[in-house]
Amino acid sequence: MIANIPVLLLFLPILVALVMYLVKSRHIHWLVFPLQLTLITAFILFVIAWQGDPSIGLLIFGGWEETIAISFYLDTLNLTFIGLTLFFFTIIFYYSFKANYREKKYFFFLTFLESVFLGLLMTNDLFNLFVFLELTALLVTLLITYRKGENALKAGLQYLLLTSVAAVLYLIGVLLLYYVFGHINIRLITLGMPNVLQANLVKLAYALMLAGFSLKAALFPVYAWLPKAHGVAPSSISALLSGLIVKAALYLFMRIHGGMFGSPYQFGEVLFWLGVISALGGVIFAMVQKDLKQILAYHTVSQVGLMLMGISFAEGTSYIGGWMHIIHHAIFKGLLFLAVGVIIKTYQTKKVYEIRGVMKTLPWTGVLLIVGMLSITGAPLFNGFVSKSMIKYAFQDDDIKMFIFNLINLGTLISFSKMAMILFGQPLKHVDRTRASVSQHIPMTILALSSIVIGLFYQPIVEAIYQFTPYAIHLEDWQIYLEYLFWLSLGFNLYYFVIRKDAKGFAKLREFAMTFPTANFLLLVLLMSFLTLLFVM
Amino acid sequence: MEPLLTILVILIGIYGLISSETIIKSVFTATIVEAGVILLFLNLGAINGGVIPITDSVNLVIVDPIPQALMITTIVIGSTVTSLALILSIKVFHNNGSIAWKDITK
Repeated sequence: MIANIPVLLLFLPILVALVMYLVKSRHIHWLVFPLQLTLITAFILFVIAWQGDPSIGLLIFGGWEETIAISFYLDTLNLTFIGLTLFFFTIIFYYSFKANYREKKYFFFLTFLESVFLGLLMTNDLFNLFVFLELTALLVTLLITYRKGENALKAGLQYLLLTSVAAVLYLIGVLLLYYVFGHINIRLITLGMPNVLQANLVKLAYALMLAGFSLKAALFPVYAWLPKAHGVAPSSISALLSGLIVKAALYLFMRIHGGMFGSPYQFGEVLFWLGVISALGGVIFAMVQKDLKQILAYHTVSQVGLMLMGISFAEGTSYIGGWMHIIHHAIFKGLLFLAVGVIIKTYQTKKVYEIRGVMKTLPWTGVLLIVGMLSITGAPLFNGFVSKSMIKYAFQDDDIKMFIFNLINLGTLISFSKMAMILFGQPLKHVDRTRASVSQHIPMTILALSSIVIGLFYQPIVEAIYQFTPYAIHLEDWQIYLEYLFWLSLGFNLYYFVIRKDAKGFAKLREFAMTFPTANFLLLVLLMSFLTLLFVM
Repeated sequence: MEPLLTILVILIGIYGLISSETIIKSVFTATIVEAGVILLFLNLGAINGGVIPITDSVNLVIVDPIPQALMITTIVIGSTVTSLALILSIKVFHNNGSIAWKDITK
């Protein structure tokens, strides 16, 4: 009975979505709360049973042989992601419940997306993974274009086409693996990988899959779709995309690099530098933006780079750090997007220089925004600090890498100094305070609290979830506080004297846009460089 | 011979992806790439003189059914993506009066 819970996680949201769409009742949306409650209870029951007997993690349907059957496989990696998904969707439902009360289709798509995303995390079959990737892309496109704004339609179209190109690259990889192994079962391919004969075809498949996932994860140079899509979607959807959906690609990175393909051909170093380039590139673009949501969206590119730097090590403290940063980033970036959503709704503008005095008009939102900003900039006592210290553990003696890491952090501080300016001063025009509802602040407060709780009590949490003892963090060491203050003041000064002046070059950087053929060309270049590196090294 | 031809189809599609300047052409070339991949996948399971795997006879050579089962799903997904992309293209055209990527990406 308990072993079948993963099936429930996949099908119950679909069923509820259909019921919500078909039943003509004004109060049918309330169904999402019992749904989330059931899913979370079922998930907790499953985790308890799974800890007693990990073999129930493998679920084979229809009594077929494992090589040809459809199967689910659950281990620590995807159980953490499933927990995050359930938590995050509950937050988003709660946040958007009042504002989108009358919109049937919104809840239909959102619930459907939840089930598809859970399926993507649980599946043990390369082809089903492709199906779930495409379904996620379709539903996300529908949610991005939900308000049918002019920019949203453009961004949605680009997102849909680019991700389907990425999915086709991935499909070619699946084809090659099917040719080599004769089946597409992830678990069995992992077991059979050391004895493989056609090593060149496997390398080709590896490069194709990495290129496809790089686009999905919005790594440099194929990041262009992300800031657009995340910037124009409704705020709750932006939070969902940046917090959760992008992480699917990182989950797949962790599955194939270090998992399915082992950690082959010293490719970790290549992925590390790819992460560095994304983190730096994202932060440079974020510094010059003037649109609140664009700033946050470019920071997602940068933070994804940081996570990739961590998980490229495939084991050890840094790997766990990257993994934790995925979860922590979901919490604080979700919080930031939701808080900014409330502010944008109240002020009726997205321009960072036109919003002032948030602390006066919306004090509680301001406090929550500060918590989010402290977390993302890696202030001690918040969750961002825990994962960032763990990511840098493996290369803390390497001067060049540490210099770059500090540079990324400095860039983050600069652009959040700019964002912090909205908190102070006097509102520039009359602000209608009634638009912010109390019910939206409860989920945001939950996110902020979990950020602080993880930041303070990381030790037992990390040990319980990742079976790993974190020894890279020393909260009692007063130097880290001074260090943070030093970087903060440096970042603020750089903002005040350089970025605020808004030189001409910045405008060019800000308006830089990439057309679809160019993005495809860069994707091809990325694929070719992966191939060259693989076959040369 | 056939695998090489299908790879040629894929390459033509990829050339289209990096060179086409309007939305509609991009949607079509994405479809071409996908068609190439589907044909290549089907080629994997095909055997000369093989029959479809719905038969009682044990003496016949049958083709590998898995690629066929997978590719029918890919075709369904591909058509869904294409139709959604075309719907969005129409809306973008009504908003902007142009389907050139150059005018849309700003």
